[in-house]
Amino acid sequence: MMRRTRRDPGREQDGDAGNASDAMFSALLEDSAEDLYENAPCGYLSTMLDGKIARINGTLLSWLGYSREELVGRRRFTDLLTVGGKLHHETHFAPLLRMRGEIGGVALELSGADGACLPVLVSSVVKTGSDGQPLLIRTTIFDARDRRAYERELLRARQEADVDRARLRRLATTLQRTLLPPTLPSVPGLEIAVHYRIASHDQVGGDFYDVFPLAGGRWGFFLGDVCGKGATAAALTSLARYTMRSAAIHDPDPVAVLGNLNTVMNQEYHSDDPRFCTVIFGVLVVEGTSCLITFASGGHPPALLLRADGTAEYRFTPGGQLVGILPGARFVAGSVRLGPGDAMVLYTDGLTEARPGAGRERYGEEALEDFAFGLAPTSARKSVESVSALLDTFGDGLDDDTAVLAFSVPAPEGL
Amino acid sequence: MAELTATVHTCAGGHLLVLAGDLDFRHTPYLREVLEELELGPGQQLVFDLSALTFCDSSGITVLVVARNRALAAHAGVALAALPDQVARIFAVAGLDQVFSLYPSVEAAAEAWTRSAG
Repeated sequence: MMRRTRRDPGREQDGDAGNASDAMFSALLEDSAEDLYENAPCGYLSTMLDGKIARINGTLLSWLGYSREELVGRRRFTDLLTVGGKLHHETHFAPLLRMRGEIGGVALELSGADGACLPVLVSSVVKTGSDGQPLLIRTTIFDARDRRAYERELLRARQEADVDRARLRRLATTLQRTLLPPTLPSVPGLEIAVHYRIASHDQVGGDFYDVFPLAGGRWGFFLGDVCGKGATAAALTSLARYTMRSAAIHDPDPVAVLGNLNTVMNQEYHSDDPRFCTVIFGVLVVEGTSCLITFASGGHPPALLLRADGTAEYRFTPGGQLVGILPGARFVAGSVRLGPGDAMVLYTDGLTEARPGAGRERYGEEALEDFAFGLAPTSARKSVESVSALLDTFGDGLDDDTAVLAFSVPAPEGL
Repeated sequence: MAELTATVHTCAGGHLLVLAGDLDFRHTPYLREVLEELELGPGQQLVFDLSALTFCDSSGITVLVVARNRALAAHAGVALAALPDQVARIFAVAGLDQVFSLYPSVEAAAEAWTRSAG
């Protein structure tokens, strides 16, 4: 009940206005308890202990579409529930009410005279007599259609988010695929194998590779990794790929190609948001039963050489700087000749920076060299399969995408 | 997995930033914030003490390069001191040993700076 317990002292002087507002309050307070019960903005229901309806208010009758005579003394509360509601009432609502003497905010569904379903929130208390014996059950019922609509809306939004997520994954995978060549060319006298491992299906990683023909029976190749992930990394990957491929047509010298890429990337990005990549670019030519590979590294992890004699070593290309980080970065070319049974493996640092095992130690270059020693002598295809199997064992220790590209000169028959 | 801590000591000559832990993509946003609050004037020096750094990935390198670019734009200097072997290897592969001034210790970096300033 609303009651003014304190008067605003400032109002004392204009007594007329104060009296007028008091009169309005009295008019409102004349609202009878009976009228309030009948036309309250919620349903009221009193039932006997056996569930039979003893009293019901007008609001609930109008929601359900029944007349008072159809219900009072004739029907039980459970008769007003849908099948699902009845079940819930019997198994949860009624036992809890008996046990605690009250229960609040339970979602049930009422079934109207026309069969329409009305979602409601129900609260009940057991009224007891002076001797503590239960007499009847008082129930208030709130219309929960708005709330149910809200829940449906939440569910729909969630379903939409799931669809968006799936779409994003498809987009990332598609984008990733466009950044890699669909198939590698077949180079006579050389075995080539490649493997790409995606670390996250939601984000495009920044690894890239390619092998493509050049004039005079030579072939260009590259494998690299741009810093960062996501859309910016994808854009940078495209830039790197196409810049190197077109630069190589004019001048395939590895130092010139990396210098060209470095200039393009420096023009594209700024000093506060530097974007760079690590990459090995090379040119290879098959000469009889050997392959001469000339290559330069721009800050990229060293290539692995797996020799026919069973040894393995890193092939460092000292002096090469990250591409795109400095105007006028320096690059130095080196060369290696693969004989029959020799293989060269290029990889990105997703492999060496992975954290397999419980200790979460990084895999590291030493472990990779030992692993390579165990593989040699091998072929391009077999070494890539072995690295792929190694990546399988890393599980969720793989943080970053990993690309592996390998070349080998086939060993003579019978060896 | 090592967290990254960055401790700043400021003196008249500039700032000494002591980094400990993994400088990888998980922690670079934090280091960027620390660096943005450092003011560098002409002739001052920013020295990174990396003796307790356990790892540095490409995003870590990016932050160091940004710090270098900002310092150079302010006509200040940058030096990296006391690189652990593993980090020195990463820097050598990336060619960063030619981009940054590297010193075996913080004292050596400070001394070189004092000499060139004097």
